[in-house]
Amino acid sequence: MIELPRVPGQELGMSRVTRRQFLKYSGVVAAAAAPMLTVDQIAAAAVARPLPLGTPILVVVTLYGGNDGLNTVIPYQDSAYYSARPDLAYKPETLLPLSSDLALNASMTGIKSLWDANKVAIVRGVGYPKPDRSHFSSMSIWQTGSPGAHLNTGWLGRWLDTQTIDPMTAISLGGVLPPLLVGAKQSGSALPLGGLSIPRGVIGTACQRLSVPSFSDNPLMAAAATSMRNLFNVSGSVQPILAKPAPIAEDLPTISGGNAGGDTNLSQQLDVVAKLIAAGSPTRAWSVSLGGFDTHANEANAQALLLGTVSKSITTFLSQMKASGRSKDITVLVYSEFGRRVKANGSDGTDHGTSGPVFLIGDRVTGGFYGDQPSLSKLIDGDLAVTTDFRDVYSSVLEKVLGAPSEKILANWKGRVTALKG
Amino acid sequence: MDIQRLEIARLFHRTGFGPKPGEFAQALRAGVASTRSKILSPPSTVSFVTPPVLTDLGPRPAPNSPDVVDFSQQLRYQNQQLFLWWLDEMVTSPHTLQEKMTWFWHGHWATSVGKVNYALPMFNQNVTMRKYALGNFTEFSKTMFSDGALQVWLDGQENTVKAPNENFSREMMELFVLGVNRYTETDVKELARAFTGYQVSRSSGLVTFNARRRDSAPVTVLSKTAAMSPEEVIAHLVAQNNSALFIAERIWYRFVSSQEPLPQDHPMVKAFANRDIYALMKSLIESSALSQEQYSMVKSPVEWFIGICRALTITPSQLPSPTKLAGYFEKLSQVPFSPPNVGGWPVDQAWLSSASAQYRLSFATSIIAEANLSELTSISSVRRPAYLADLLGVVEWSSRTSYAMRGVRDNPQKLLVTAVCSPEYVVSL
Repeated sequence: MIELPRVPGQELGMSRVTRRQFLKYSGVVAAAAAPMLTVDQIAAAAVARPLPLGTPILVVVTLYGGNDGLNTVIPYQDSAYYSARPDLAYKPETLLPLSSDLALNASMTGIKSLWDANKVAIVRGVGYPKPDRSHFSSMSIWQTGSPGAHLNTGWLGRWLDTQTIDPMTAISLGGVLPPLLVGAKQSGSALPLGGLSIPRGVIGTACQRLSVPSFSDNPLMAAAATSMRNLFNVSGSVQPILAKPAPIAEDLPTISGGNAGGDTNLSQQLDVVAKLIAAGSPTRAWSVSLGGFDTHANEANAQALLLGTVSKSITTFLSQMKASGRSKDITVLVYSEFGRRVKANGSDGTDHGTSGPVFLIGDRVTGGFYGDQPSLSKLIDGDLAVTTDFRDVYSSVLEKVLGAPSEKILANWKGRVTALKG
Repeated sequence: MDIQRLEIARLFHRTGFGPKPGEFAQALRAGVASTRSKILSPPSTVSFVTPPVLTDLGPRPAPNSPDVVDFSQQLRYQNQQLFLWWLDEMVTSPHTLQEKMTWFWHGHWATSVGKVNYALPMFNQNVTMRKYALGNFTEFSKTMFSDGALQVWLDGQENTVKAPNENFSREMMELFVLGVNRYTETDVKELARAFTGYQVSRSSGLVTFNARRRDSAPVTVLSKTAAMSPEEVIAHLVAQNNSALFIAERIWYRFVSSQEPLPQDHPMVKAFANRDIYALMKSLIESSALSQEQYSMVKSPVEWFIGICRALTITPSQLPSPTKLAGYFEKLSQVPFSPPNVGGWPVDQAWLSSASAQYRLSFATSIIAEANLSELTSISSVRRPAYLADLLGVVEWSSRTSYAMRGVRDNPQKLLVTAVCSPEYVVSL
C-alpha cells in the first residue's frame, strides 16, 4: 500500500527546488504572477545533481521463466549430468571451462572473458527453503525477498523506503513496474524504451494540476496522482539524455519458453541504462529483464540463444560504461526464479526445478565460485539442493553496493556472500 | 461521499465496462436494488457483433517458400480482426455482466496468442468462455481441458506416458481450479499422468486422443485413486471445497479488491456450492461489498478504454488505424488475447507508472479526437464537469480535478481528456 504523502515538497522528489517553487510548479498557489517551471528548468535541475562519480550502482537482470542453471554453469565432468539428460547435455569439448569441474554454456563467451578478468562471481545453488515451483509464487518470493511471510513490497522497494523521496533513485525499464521496486513509502519508476515526454500547453497545465498530492486521496488515488507527477519529474530529467531513443526490436522471438513474463529486448534496455548512467542520472538501482526461459520443450537451442543475449548485452553494457568513467561503480546481479529439473522431460525440455546459479558481475566483485555446487548424486525429489539462500546475496548487495544496512529490509537475515569488495 | 452514487458507479464499472450515455443518471433515479436486478436479468435477445471470418491457415510454410508471405499476411489479418471483434463486443454488448465475465475468464485461463500464434483457436477459446461465463464451473473446466489454445499454451501435447510434462497439470491446480499450496508436488505429477495422451493441431486447435501416448494406469490425486479421464479428474478437483474458495477469491480479487483479502466465510463461497457461476456473482452483487468505501481498484487499460468508448459511443473497429490502436494497448502493456503470462493481468499499482500516465494521455487524446462531442459542446462551460461525471459514471470530482478542469472547460476535447486521465476516472473509487 502506498501511504499518503506527508511532505509534499519531498514527495515530488525535488530537493532541488524550494518549497515555494514547488508550490508554484504544482499550481497549489493560485497561478498569479509567478511563472511555472519550464521543461528546460527541470532538465537542468537533473543535470545539476548528477550522481557523484564513485557512487556504486546496482543493475538487476531478472531472467523470467526459470533459467536452467545446470545448462548455464555445467558440471561437465560429472557422469550423472550426462545420464540425467542424455539428449540435453552438452558435449564437454563445446563448453567454456571455468574450473576442473564446471564450465559455462558455450554461448556465454562475453561473460567467460569477464570471468577470466576476475570480474564474475558465480554463487552456486541459490534458492530458498521449501522451493516453490510456480513461476508466480517463486518470482514473488525472489522479488519480495521474503520466502516466509507474503509481503507487498519488494526488497529494493524497502531499500527505497529508507532513501529520500525521489522518483529517479530506482528505475525499471519497461512499461510495468516489477514488484521488486515497490515500496511502502515510494516505489521505483518505470521507463519504457523510447522514453517519456512531458505534456505541454493547456493540457500540460491541467495534468500538473491533476498530479498534486491531496490529503483526501485514498492510496490508489494517491498512486494515480503520483504516477502523473513522476511523468513530469522523470521525463524532465531523462528525455534530453535520450535525444535519440533506441528503436524497439526484439532480441528473440519467445515462442518456446515465453509464457512466464519478462521483456524481450534486454540489449536495448541495457543500452538505455548505459546512456542514462553515462549522463549522470541520479539513479542507484536499475532493473531490466529478459523473458523466455520457461523451456519445457526443445530447450537447448532456445536457452543457448537467450544466454548468448544475456552474455553479450551485459558485456557490451560494461564496455560502454568504461568510456564514462563509471565502469568501476557498477555491479550487475543476474538471477531467475528457479532452476529446472535435473532430468529432462522427454520433450527435449525440463520442468520447473529449484536452485540455480546467481551471477554478480563488475569491478567491485571478487571473481570466483561461492556457495557449494549442489550434488547430482544427492537430489531431493529429483531436484537440486539449495546450498545458498538468496538473502545471503541480497544482504551483501545491500551492504556493499547500496551501502545500506540490510537488517530491517531482510528481517535480520544473518548470511552473507563474500563476493563483493568494499 | 454519496454511498448510493458510489455503489451504482461500481456496479457499472466493476460488473460491466461503464455506463452508456444516460444510463448512469437513469440508474441513480432507479436506485441500487433496481440497478442490481437489471444487471442480473439481462436482455434475452443478445445482439452480438458479427464474428470475424477465421479459417484454418494450416501449418506455416517453409521460410523460403513462395507461400510464406501470403500466409503471414493472412495470419496478421485474422489476428487483427479477432482483436477488433472483441473490443467492439465489449463496447456494444447489452449483456454487460457476461461480457465482463468473459474478460475475467480470459485473465483466469490466461492464454496468449504470442505462443498460440493462430487466431482461430483463440477465437474458439473466447466462444467457450462466453458460453460458460456465467455457467457451471465444473462443465467449464472440463471443456477447457480440450481447448486447443490452452493445450498449445501449456505444452499439453508434450505430455506423454513416456515423458510426462507437468506444465498443464500444475497450472490447472495452481491457477485455474484450486490455488497455490492446496495440493502437493505428488498431486502435480499424478495429475500430469491423467492428462497424458492428447495432441493438438496448432492451426485449428483441434484436440485429438492418441491411445499410445496415454498413461492408463490409476493415479492418486488429492486422495482419490482411480484410472480417471481428464474430465473425471477435473471434476474431482472442482468438487474440492478449496475450489469454491479459490474461485470466490479470484472474483473478489478482480471485482472488489486486490488489496484486501476475501473476508472469512463470505457468502459467495456458499453460493458457489453447485459451482454455478451466476449464483456466485449474484451473491457478490447483492452483498454490501460494493458499497464499502475502502474497496477501490485501478481500472486496467482495457477497462479504461472500453469505458471511454461506451460513454462516447465509439466503435473501436471504426477508429482510423487498427495498428495504432493495438500500439497503444501494447504501450499500456495490456493487449487482449496477449496476457503477459499464465497468471493473467497485473492489478492496481502496476498500471500506475509514469509511463502509463503518459500513454493514457496520448491514447485519450487520439480517441477523443474521433468522438462526436456536440452534446458536451452545447452545454455551458460551468455545467460541463457535472455532465461528464454522469456521462462517465464518476462518483465525484475531487477539488484537485475540478481545478484542473476549470482551466480547460472551454475546450470540450481537452476537458474530456483531463476528465478521463484524472485519478477518479483511472481508479474505480
